[in-house]
Amino acid sequence: MNRKLMGAVVAAILAAAPALAEFPEKDLQGIVMWGAGGSTDTVMRSVTPHAEEVLGSDVIIQNMTGGVGAIATKYVFAQKPDGYTLLLGAENPQLYKVMGLGELDYSDFIPINVLARGVPVIVANNDAPFDTFTEMVDYVSAHPNEVKFGTTGPGGLPSTVTAMLSSKLELPVTEVPYDGDGPAITALQSGAIHVVPVVMGVAIEHVKAGRVKPIALIDVEPNPLMPDLPPITEEYPDFATYLPWGPFFGVFVKKGTPDEAVEKLKEAFAAGAENQEFKDLMAARGYSIMNISGDEAVQFLEKYQSVTSWLVHDAGIAKTSPEEFDIPRP
Amino acid sequence: MIDALQNLTIAWFDPSLLMLVALGTFAGIYVGAIPGLSVTMAVSILISFTFSWDVYEALSLMVGIYMGGVYGGSRTAILLNIPGAPSAIATALDGYPLAQKGLAGEAIGLSTTMSAVGGLLGILVLAFAAPAVSEFALTFQPRDYMLLAILGILLVGSLSGESLTKGIFAGALGLLIGTVGLDPLTAQERFTFGVVELWGGISFVAVMIGMFGVAEALIQLRELEMAAVKQTISRIVPRWSDVRKYLPLSLQTSAIGVLIGALPGTGGDIAALMAYDHAKRVTKDPDVPFGEGAKEGLVAPETANNAAIGGAFIPMITLGIPGDAVTAIIIGALFIHGLNPGPMLMIEKPDMFWFIVGALLLANVFMLIFGLTGIRIFTRIVEMPRAVLIPLILMLSIVGAFAVNNSITDVYWMLGFGILGYFMKLYGYQVGPVILGVILSRLIDENWRRAIISDQESLPRLFQGIVTSPLSLVLFIAVVLIFVSQTPLWAALMKPFRTKRTPPPDA
Repeated sequence: MNRKLMGAVVAAILAAAPALAEFPEKDLQGIVMWGAGGSTDTVMRSVTPHAEEVLGSDVIIQNMTGGVGAIATKYVFAQKPDGYTLLLGAENPQLYKVMGLGELDYSDFIPINVLARGVPVIVANNDAPFDTFTEMVDYVSAHPNEVKFGTTGPGGLPSTVTAMLSSKLELPVTEVPYDGDGPAITALQSGAIHVVPVVMGVAIEHVKAGRVKPIALIDVEPNPLMPDLPPITEEYPDFATYLPWGPFFGVFVKKGTPDEAVEKLKEAFAAGAENQEFKDLMAARGYSIMNISGDEAVQFLEKYQSVTSWLVHDAGIAKTSPEEFDIPRP
Repeated sequence: MIDALQNLTIAWFDPSLLMLVALGTFAGIYVGAIPGLSVTMAVSILISFTFSWDVYEALSLMVGIYMGGVYGGSRTAILLNIPGAPSAIATALDGYPLAQKGLAGEAIGLSTTMSAVGGLLGILVLAFAAPAVSEFALTFQPRDYMLLAILGILLVGSLSGESLTKGIFAGALGLLIGTVGLDPLTAQERFTFGVVELWGGISFVAVMIGMFGVAEALIQLRELEMAAVKQTISRIVPRWSDVRKYLPLSLQTSAIGVLIGALPGTGGDIAALMAYDHAKRVTKDPDVPFGEGAKEGLVAPETANNAAIGGAFIPMITLGIPGDAVTAIIIGALFIHGLNPGPMLMIEKPDMFWFIVGALLLANVFMLIFGLTGIRIFTRIVEMPRAVLIPLILMLSIVGAFAVNNSITDVYWMLGFGILGYFMKLYGYQVGPVILGVILSRLIDENWRRAIISDQESLPRLFQGIVTSPLSLVLFIAVVLIFVSQTPLWAALMKPFRTKRTPPPDA
């Protein structure tokens, strides 16, 4: 009897031993490349608790801001590729090369999960003398440089969308830079600027309250949150070459991370992205859930990089041509 | 109305919420008191921590930490001349001299009471005038922010001590430090010399901790043998007559606090400095000169920074636009808890509004209670032998500087600025204007450029905009008046009117 019990204990220990060595053995570190309270931060803080359940350890989230996220990217790249340091990032690194912000981009990392994509909308001040996209284009060409467009600096979403529009249309506007989409939509309501392209999540509550008016949806299909707003491709099919396009949020680890860790993390964050609470949260803010990894994610990241790099290059705001980095033209 | 009252008192009668607000306020006071541990950081940690909680519980804790933290910064400012938080910089100017006279207990008592008065006024404005104030805050254009920042820069006159020239030099140094990093508008590198670590700029908190904490410790090392100041703690709760005497001033400074707090992009730090300057301007005959322990100089920033809390919540709740860094994080928290912060929040969920007002009121009461108890133990800190105190300050400074961004680079910056601050103090340069410059650098830089870009880079158009907008015009006139009043020209003009009174020492 005693011997049997001993045997069982030994067997249990032997069975447990490999389990103990399984990833993760300790807490993970999650580096958010934008500040606390921003959209990247809130998305990451809402998905991580669900992923933690699968991982069985905590992900200590830390914000490391600066250099349009390049400082966080560089930091994670400098760590050991053991899967314990996650880069919780947005789309920004895909532009670092052409904007002269460094040599890194997401091709130096393994995408664990590209969680969601934002849909850009163009919103205008309620007093602006146009209500539709076509009216706006007409008004702008009749009053060159008088309409003020908000931006968040070169390479940000507003400037990229504006570059996208100017690549196909004559659009002489004055671009006024702000610190982020939040301050820009505030300035829109104060009348300091007339128009700003932003991600839907930033605009939706202000549109609902009637404080700003939506002008265009930069996507190929209508959005359930703004069903009355036609996608821009309906009237301007030319834009389909760029679309669907939008900023995204993803979880990354450095290239060279062992497969075992990568697989475990993929499983955890896929479960996180599947969580109903997280899905509801994202839907309410107008984000489309993507939940992709592996080759699919790599393709998405490459398309984003190709479209955006060439747009900013053609708009004259890139420091280096995408050609130098073998980024193909879309 | 009854609904509102019910929601207002949710946190008052629910024992667990009551405890959470109390706990938050208590923790906030210590977070605020330790330089480097900021309310912003504490609240962002709480987002993850309270993820699975009910939204009321999470908010109770956050509101408590916010209220306690803004107040807590005054503790170390008064006792050690190290502001625990940027909003307590102005508090150190007259609070520390009071502690050196052995009146630390009285100073803390007064600052606590006045913080509560300011906090209360801020909350009242939030409760009764939020929509109007937020609409007013929204009318501020880039040129108005620019004028406001210029108004702020003129505070150098109040902060430079004996020599205005040295003050201007220090302020300019601060402005320069603030420009290091990627240009916020164009992402061009400025003064980075190709070093990526400099892209994010020089951490403002590292500068503050170095210039105040380390520089102060180094100065005290020169007088190692000097006995510590014995503190007399006969009075902690201020006299009613004192409170009444400072009430008119605190009403004015609270108004400054609420407005600056409500403006997106400016917060309690600028509010407190502006309030200090205002107090200096309106107090004709202080019992003790400013900078040597004037109680007005303590009352003004402490009321203003706590009033700025109510102010910061105004655009946050009514429009979903954060009034400062902390409310920006609270917006994120609301979002994670399934709410949609924005202009619809007040309409769809008025209970949230009244709940926040109620929790703020509660936190204000707890702040008063926790603030007034335990002062005796705190003042012992100043009585510690220097050989113990100075290493303690240095250790706190290093930990604090590291904690801001978990970056060792910040620690080196902090130490570097500490040594620079030491030599500046030694040669009669005040460090206050440096910090002022760093705080305002970005505000003035961005908004000047935004204003001029908006007017198609034409100065006449910008000027036309200023004179045709009533708000800009008022700000512009204030800038001109305050500037002229600090020049010898003003003294000459005013001579016929001032036969009896001597001109203020800073004129």
